[in-house]
Amino acid sequence: MQNIDRLKSLAAVAALFLGATALPALAQDNAGLCPAGYAEAPQLKAMVDAGTLPPVAERLPLEPLVIQPAEETGVYGGQFVDSWGGGNIAEIRHFGYEPLVRWSIDGAEVVPGIAKGWEISEDAQTYTFFLREGMKWSDGHPFTADDIVFWWERVENNPKVMTGGPRNEYKVDGEAPTVTKVDDYTVAFSWSKPNGLFLQQMAGPYGQRVVQFPRHYMEQFDIDLNPEGVAEMMTAAGATDYAAWWKGNIGSYNDPAQFNDPKRPSVHAWIGTDTILGKERVTFVRNPYYFAVDPDCQQLPYIDERVWASAPDPEVTLLQSIQGQLSMSPRNVSIPQNRAVFFDNQEAGDYRLVPATSCDYNTAVLAFSMNHPDPVKAQVFSNKDFRIGVSQAINRQEIIDTVYLGQGEPFQPAPLPNSPFYNEAMAKQYTEFDLAAAAEHLDKILPMGPDGVRLGPDGKPFKFSVEINADFKPDTVDAFQLIERTWEQVGLDVTINFHSDELFGNARAKPDSDASVWVGENGCGQLPLLNLSRFMNDYGGWSLGNWSGWAAWDIKRLNPDAELPEGWEPIEPSANVQRLYELRSLIPQTIGEEQTALMKEFTDLQAEEFLVIGIATPAGFYRAVKNDVRNVPDELIEGWLYPGPAPANFASFFVRSE
Amino acid sequence: MGSFVLRRILYAIPALIAVSLISFLVIAVPPGDYVDRLAETNAAKGDIMPIAEQEALRQAYGLDQPLMVQYWNWISAVVARGDFGYSFSYNLPVKDVIWPRLGLTVVLSIASLLFIWVAAIPVGIYSAVRRYSAGDYLFTFLGFLGLAIPNFLLALAAMYIAFAWFGHNVGGLFSPEFVEAPWSWARVLDLLNHLWLPMIVLGTAGTASVIRVIRANLLDELHKPYVTAARAKGMGEFGLLMKYPVRHALNPFVSGQNDIFVDIVSGGTIVAIVMGLQTTGPILLEALRTQDMYMAASFILMLSVLVVIGTLLSDVLLAWLDPRIRHQQG
Repeated sequence: MQNIDRLKSLAAVAALFLGATALPALAQDNAGLCPAGYAEAPQLKAMVDAGTLPPVAERLPLEPLVIQPAEETGVYGGQFVDSWGGGNIAEIRHFGYEPLVRWSIDGAEVVPGIAKGWEISEDAQTYTFFLREGMKWSDGHPFTADDIVFWWERVENNPKVMTGGPRNEYKVDGEAPTVTKVDDYTVAFSWSKPNGLFLQQMAGPYGQRVVQFPRHYMEQFDIDLNPEGVAEMMTAAGATDYAAWWKGNIGSYNDPAQFNDPKRPSVHAWIGTDTILGKERVTFVRNPYYFAVDPDCQQLPYIDERVWASAPDPEVTLLQSIQGQLSMSPRNVSIPQNRAVFFDNQEAGDYRLVPATSCDYNTAVLAFSMNHPDPVKAQVFSNKDFRIGVSQAINRQEIIDTVYLGQGEPFQPAPLPNSPFYNEAMAKQYTEFDLAAAAEHLDKILPMGPDGVRLGPDGKPFKFSVEINADFKPDTVDAFQLIERTWEQVGLDVTINFHSDELFGNARAKPDSDASVWVGENGCGQLPLLNLSRFMNDYGGWSLGNWSGWAAWDIKRLNPDAELPEGWEPIEPSANVQRLYELRSLIPQTIGEEQTALMKEFTDLQAEEFLVIGIATPAGFYRAVKNDVRNVPDELIEGWLYPGPAPANFASFFVRSE
Repeated sequence: MGSFVLRRILYAIPALIAVSLISFLVIAVPPGDYVDRLAETNAAKGDIMPIAEQEALRQAYGLDQPLMVQYWNWISAVVARGDFGYSFSYNLPVKDVIWPRLGLTVVLSIASLLFIWVAAIPVGIYSAVRRYSAGDYLFTFLGFLGLAIPNFLLALAAMYIAFAWFGHNVGGLFSPEFVEAPWSWARVLDLLNHLWLPMIVLGTAGTASVIRVIRANLLDELHKPYVTAARAKGMGEFGLLMKYPVRHALNPFVSGQNDIFVDIVSGGTIVAIVMGLQTTGPILLEALRTQDMYMAASFILMLSVLVVIGTLLSDVLLAWLDPRIRHQQG
């Protein structure tokens, strides 16, 4: 069974993320799709009959999005119950994925969302999106290009609210686009350089922001457009700082604040009825203006209500899941380690396990401080033989068998096999456990000392430590306890430091930290393309271990006048690494075959340099889904840039009553 | 008496200032601040928070100011307007987060206190009077067991049993449909239906120690001459027991209840987290973990005020009981 599941999952992901790059135009023609009109939920029908809501045909756009259900046409009704730990209900992967364009369920391509289609200019410098005529916000107000231009001008580029300026995802080579309203239902993004990644970026979490700001409603919160009104609201809230007030009360794609105000119009399938602030349990109801229908012309969503129940402790969440109180088990408990308990309680909890493929490219990425302030350590860590020795002295199969319950395969940090950018050398080299070979490589830089501990180039015993976040990924704790043992056998004197979530940030940020571990994310399908920085150990201002010298060199390369963060001194990397940094800048500016060729060069160089070390591909993930919740695809995908499982079209899920 | 109380209140003021200052500083001691925690949480999700955005937030929240300035802004607002500041992680004024939970916390704490007293005092008396009987051994055994098993473990076990054998709704103090419902009889009944489990879990350890205290004190009293004298005068055994030795034995127990306010407000944090209770303990811990400065500091300030009030009350009580204390300089 296990094997069949795995085969199926491989087949499913084999098709994953193919050819989303160079689609010149895609448009959906649904005009005249439903000549007999649309059906709607009985609750909405009653409101229409009572005259409190316009008829469904007027609420839907002329060409609604047609969502193909995974199994069958559903029926209206029911609740979908979710749990959330702590504050952030806005978790896009469970709620709020209605971006400009979406990932298809299997992630193979980018498909229409809010935009019914798009056109990419030949030189990839202009992306034109076509909106749906007649589409409405959840308050019935038309959704037009003005709303998107408002977001760009008054939110993303408003230094009073987004003090940092537009996010990198909208830029190419540091250049922000010009956003123009072509007509009411057409909006264009253009740059002076080709943008090879914009469509995929817009299908990810950051494409959500674009369609989140209804101009007619948001103007009142703009301090320049409504100075007195904003001053009044801020006084009422006791706030003194506009940016803080805005972040806490209006909020963006991932802030819970976006749901503070139940009156704020949205494009989501379900909308709030009350503020979520300080609530233990919140209920969202169907958006009467949701812009999608099923193939039988029934307006979506099928499910009446979405409910979130707070459960701060994962053990409580786990119990609630196996009791069958939750419609779908949340990601933090749906881990291989809990698989047995989920499996055993399937009947009692009346749920089924739906396999979920992880988009993570490694369970743990270990990176050494190439730019360590201690020259001896810098010399050792940036020596490839050292890293090969360290890697070959890891018994990955043992870790997979004991820590990961036999799931996954030995792997270095690299694009996954289902990705068009998979590079076998980069993925598999030095993954075999071979203590003799490891010792041979280590001998070249760290000769064995008299008492079984290796000596550094300065003749002194060589020691290093590894920083691990024990809260975030407890499995790395187990894995590194095993690794520590085999490293000892080749004469490496290592201290593994396990940190809590609160303290890890500080430990990995110390300039003299030796090495740190983090998970490898976004490695499936097209995603490595959007994720080049991770492969250069750039986590947006921090890195695993100290790479700040190289990062500073790269900053200066791009802009000699740039100011460096405090304490950073440029260190010139080797020619190959220089080229890797260059490729990171070049690849997003190319399209098609040129892009593919540069990606090949990138992964080849990565394989040659072997900068970071991995353990295994993550596997064995799943979600427990209540048996009465239907239209859930046979296979889910977990990720962030593909914000799984959200692209699985929650609006088409329905509850089958017996 | 009046001047004694006044003196005590005056002493309390510098104590509170010191506590508020120290707690504020202690919260800020760990490296990093709330924005770092936020960035870390986002990173765990896969989201990268640009450095510029972090700096902007820090500025917006006033975290870039010197610590003493932050402290002064906060404490002056507390004193001047009763404004405890803003909780970063809840996006709400601190008082709006704490107050709704305080009611439930007090209910739960009082319920478990009552449970302790009702269960432990009679058992303690029984154990003392029937010393070395089978019943005494049984209760002593259970008592030590209760004392020795950590609360959170008991909570986990109780939750599992409630789930596996009774299909009981675990996690929280309410059934799902009542969590955000307005108060009604049905909601009260629902609360009572969920309250007993945490009440017993929280009460077990307390019960054990109260049983031991009462038993030991009562054993000291039982063989005093006044008991023999009363018995010689033909007093009924039960009336005698209740009227004299038990009253004496309760004295140390009553004076040991001086931290009762703090227990009531913050009691059972770990159990509350494990069982997902909507009480104040988990939010204090969360505020400390995420360095939600004003939330944590306000909470600690509130607890300190309660300690001071509790101590004041017990001083006043003692002074009323004992003239020697009343007339001392202190």
